[in-house]
Amino acid sequence: MMQDLRIPSISRGPKITIFVNARETFAYEGETVLAALIAAGLRTLRMSHDRREGRGPFCGMGVCYECLVSINGRANQRACMTEVEDFMEIRIDGPKDM
Amino acid sequence: MVRKTCDVAVVGGGFSGLVAAKILADRGLRVSLLDENIRMGGQVLRSLPWSGDSSMSRGLRRHGLRLIDGMKRKPIEVLNRTKVLDIDEQLGLLAEREEKEIISVAPKMLLLATGAREKFLPFKGWTLPGVISTGAAQILMKGSGVLPARKMLVSGTGPFLFALSAEFLRNGGKLVSVLDLGRLREKLFMLTQGFYHFSKVMEGLSFLAAIMKARVPFHHRTAVIEARGCGELDTVVAAKVSRSGRNIGGTEKIYRTGCLAVGWGYTPNIELPQRAGCGLTYNSNMGGWVVRVGNDLETTVDRIFAAGEITGIAGAQKSINEGELAAYGILKKLGREVDLRRLRILERQRSLHLRFGICFNKLHKLPDGAFPAIPDEVTICRCEDVKMGDIRRAVNEGYDTPAMLKRALRIGMGNCQGRTCAPLIYDILSTLTKRTAEDIPVLSVRSPVKVVAVRSFLRQQ
Repeated sequence: MMQDLRIPSISRGPKITIFVNARETFAYEGETVLAALIAAGLRTLRMSHDRREGRGPFCGMGVCYECLVSINGRANQRACMTEVEDFMEIRIDGPKDM
Repeated sequence: MVRKTCDVAVVGGGFSGLVAAKILADRGLRVSLLDENIRMGGQVLRSLPWSGDSSMSRGLRRHGLRLIDGMKRKPIEVLNRTKVLDIDEQLGLLAEREEKEIISVAPKMLLLATGAREKFLPFKGWTLPGVISTGAAQILMKGSGVLPARKMLVSGTGPFLFALSAEFLRNGGKLVSVLDLGRLREKLFMLTQGFYHFSKVMEGLSFLAAIMKARVPFHHRTAVIEARGCGELDTVVAAKVSRSGRNIGGTEKIYRTGCLAVGWGYTPNIELPQRAGCGLTYNSNMGGWVVRVGNDLETTVDRIFAAGEITGIAGAQKSINEGELAAYGILKKLGREVDLRRLRILERQRSLHLRFGICFNKLHKLPDGAFPAIPDEVTICRCEDVKMGDIRRAVNEGYDTPAMLKRALRIGMGNCQGRTCAPLIYDILSTLTKRTAEDIPVLSVRSPVKVVAVRSFLRQQ
């Protein structure tokens, strides 16, 4: 596990459990799925539609649809526009084995 | 389908929408406030629910967080996580709520306050994971309390680069460098124009001071020419840029970083106003295509008003001002009394905000040669993987409008529906075909305006 990217001075909600490609990790209530994935050290979230290039988050505000992941079995959800929930199952389509 | 009626529907819960909703509700009107995001506040007022305490914040932020708190107490129907999909001729809104149900809202009056998004200047490798927008970097920190990376390089143009850099440093990040395509002289000139906006000038200087204090090198007239990495970003190549926008050979510099934040200013979210038939105007000093409004902020469509960044990019203060102005415009239209003296003060203030907007947007002006200099292998439409070379070839074959390029290459037909590449396509076409930006017709927008799951419709049966 790499160094946590969470800013220490910020007060957070309760710690919760999420699963990324079936692997257990943690997050805090109130964070977006994107923030939790980045804090877990992930950058590639999916492959591009035509050339199958790795892509990661870009606009962070729901405009670009680059951070699409599968959440609780629903494909193509924007990680940046979804809040984490306890026991949420996230699937990403990156080259890294996470 | 859940059908709702109200006096005024406000689309967009940023500063403009919040201010307008409060004033209208205070006057006894039934207001529905719709926003796509998890929480109200737009891009400026993001915060974690546990740190977004209005008593802890100062200035603008405190004002905004109080407005958000106030929404709970007022008879305003707050519809967050609600994507507006279309607007019909009677101002009826079709929307998807919480990714699961379709609703309709039938208001007497409509206020559009859909805000802005970032503009980009593509370079080789800008699609690599690890390259993010400056907005994304800030939203991660403000909205979720997470650094985009331990180490980050910031590049693009305009004062926001410095705001982001200062915030990143304050949160304990290691800032590699700040590379601004703009010129220092322009910035200094703008400072002299900032007389009416003393607080903004001081804010800018405080960002600069934070960067200098951390001994982070910043370079002007410098741009990223390539982001490299095997699957993910690890190296950034930057170079000095000539006045005409070309890279100067021999000035290349290499930075090792896994995160690069880029941004070149802002452009209004005009898709919903377009669907509603609102007239647009092109004004490069206001961020590109903006919604045309009269003095009361009514658009060219009867009973539809617009406020905030969509009438011209000028920041939070203008959005607050226009939220109030639009609320009075709506009250007037409904035959209610409004304080004419207050109205005149607001109108005067608005012209000052617009003046600031012109200065602000001028700082983001790109050199004429910037777009023609994009190499063929650079991706322009990220959703459909369309490259600059594809566009050049198509333009040479005579496909010289955005709509023709869309048919020929599928640009703007992916998930984001051209939100990222359309503003780029307008600039590219204008420079490649030597036409003014006003002469490039905007892409038409179809319903649904945002991606919606079929299951949301099916559930209603």
